[in-house]
Amino acid sequence: MGLVLAAEAGQVHLTSQTRIVAAALALVFMLMILELIRRDRLQERYSVIWFVAGLGMLAGAAFPGLLEVFANLMGVRNTNVALFSIVLLLLLGLALNFSVIMSRQAAQITRLAQERAIEKALAEKRAGGANGNGSSGQQALEPEEERLEG
Amino acid sequence: MRTLVFIPAWNEEAALAGVIADVRKAIPEADLLVVDDGSTDATAERAREAGALVAALPFNQGLGAALQTGYLYALRNGYDACAHLDADGQHPAEEVARLLAEVTADRADLVIGSRYHAGAVAASGDYRPTFSRRIGTSVFRFFLTLATRQRFTDTTSGMRAANRRVMALFSKHYSPDFAEIESLQLAVRQGLRVEELPVRMLERAGGSSFLTPLRSAFFIFKGLVVLLVGQFRPRHVEAE
Repeated sequence: MGLVLAAEAGQVHLTSQTRIVAAALALVFMLMILELIRRDRLQERYSVIWFVAGLGMLAGAAFPGLLEVFANLMGVRNTNVALFSIVLLLLLGLALNFSVIMSRQAAQITRLAQERAIEKALAEKRAGGANGNGSSGQQALEPEEERLEG
Repeated sequence: MRTLVFIPAWNEEAALAGVIADVRKAIPEADLLVVDDGSTDATAERAREAGALVAALPFNQGLGAALQTGYLYALRNGYDACAHLDADGQHPAEEVARLLAEVTADRADLVIGSRYHAGAVAASGDYRPTFSRRIGTSVFRFFLTLATRQRFTDTTSGMRAANRRVMALFSKHYSPDFAEIESLQLAVRQGLRVEELPVRMLERAGGSSFLTPLRSAFFIFKGLVVLLVGQFRPRHVEAE
C-alpha cells in the first residue's frame, strides 16, 4: 500500500485503511450501545462512559495527530505504545468503575435481604408464631434510624 | 427496659437449640432473635422449635450482615439494649447477662466479652486459642490499640452488648467484610464508650472454625487494610 499518512513527524503508522476501519468500528460500537438502550438491556446512566469510549475511538481515527500529542505528553517515543497504554488505562478505569457500582449494589442487596428478613420475622411474630416473647409492642420506624449510604 | 438477645447463625443446627435454652435460662426477660444467615441445614427449624423468633436472610451474606440485621431489628422495635453471642456454644449466656448489666447500668455504650482479658479465668473445657488464632489476635490487638488509643485484648469477640446509640450506628455502618474490628474502631471514633469485660468462653460445641493458616493470613491482611482505611473516615457521622 505504502499509503502512510503522517501527521507531522511521520511517526503515526496509521494507513487510511486502518483509519476507515477504526472509524467504522467506532460507529458500529456506538450504534450497538444505542440499540442496547433501546431494548432496555443497558441503562442510560451506564451508557455514557461507553459513548465516551466510542467517541475517543472515532477521534483517534479522524485525527491521528491526537495520538502523537498524547504520546509526547506521556513522553513515549512509539505512538503504538502510547495507544496501548491509553486503551489499557481506559479499560482499567472502566473495570474500577464497575467495581464501585458492584459494591453499591451489593450493599443495596444486603439491605434488601435484611429488610425482608426483619419483615418476615415480624409477620411471623404477629401471626402468633412459636415465640414466647413477652413485652413486644411494635413501634413505627424510629426517627433516629438512618438510611444506608450510597 | 426492653432487651433483645440475638444470635447470628449459619449452619449451626447442632449447637443452636442448646444455646437458645442457655439464653432463656440465664436471661429470661430478654426477647430472642435468631438471624439465620442463609443456612442450608435445619438451623431455622431448630431455632423455631426452641421457641426463638427467626429472621432468615434469603442467602448467605456473611457475619457482618447478619449482625447488622440484629442491630437493625433491635433499633426498629424500640429495644433499649441488645446483645449477641455466637451460635456454636462457645459463649455461656450468664456471661452475656453480665455484659448486658453494664449496658443497662449505663456504664458503657458497647461492651465486649473478652476471653483474653487479664481477669478471664480458665477452667477445664474452656476456650484455648489455636496458634494461628493467637498470632492474628495479637496483630489485631496491637493495631487496633494503635488506631483507637484504647486497649483491646479480644478484638474478634462475637459476644457483645450494646445500647441504642450503638444500634443506630451499627445498623447504618457495619462492614460486611470485617465486622468485628472495624465496628470497634468506628464506635471509638464516634466517641462511644466501649468497654471490655473478661468472660469465660468454652470450646465450640459443634461445627468447626473456618480458619486455616492461609485464610488467617488473608484475614489479617484484610483487617489491616480495613483499619488503615477506617483511620481516614470522618470522626462523626453527620446527621441526615
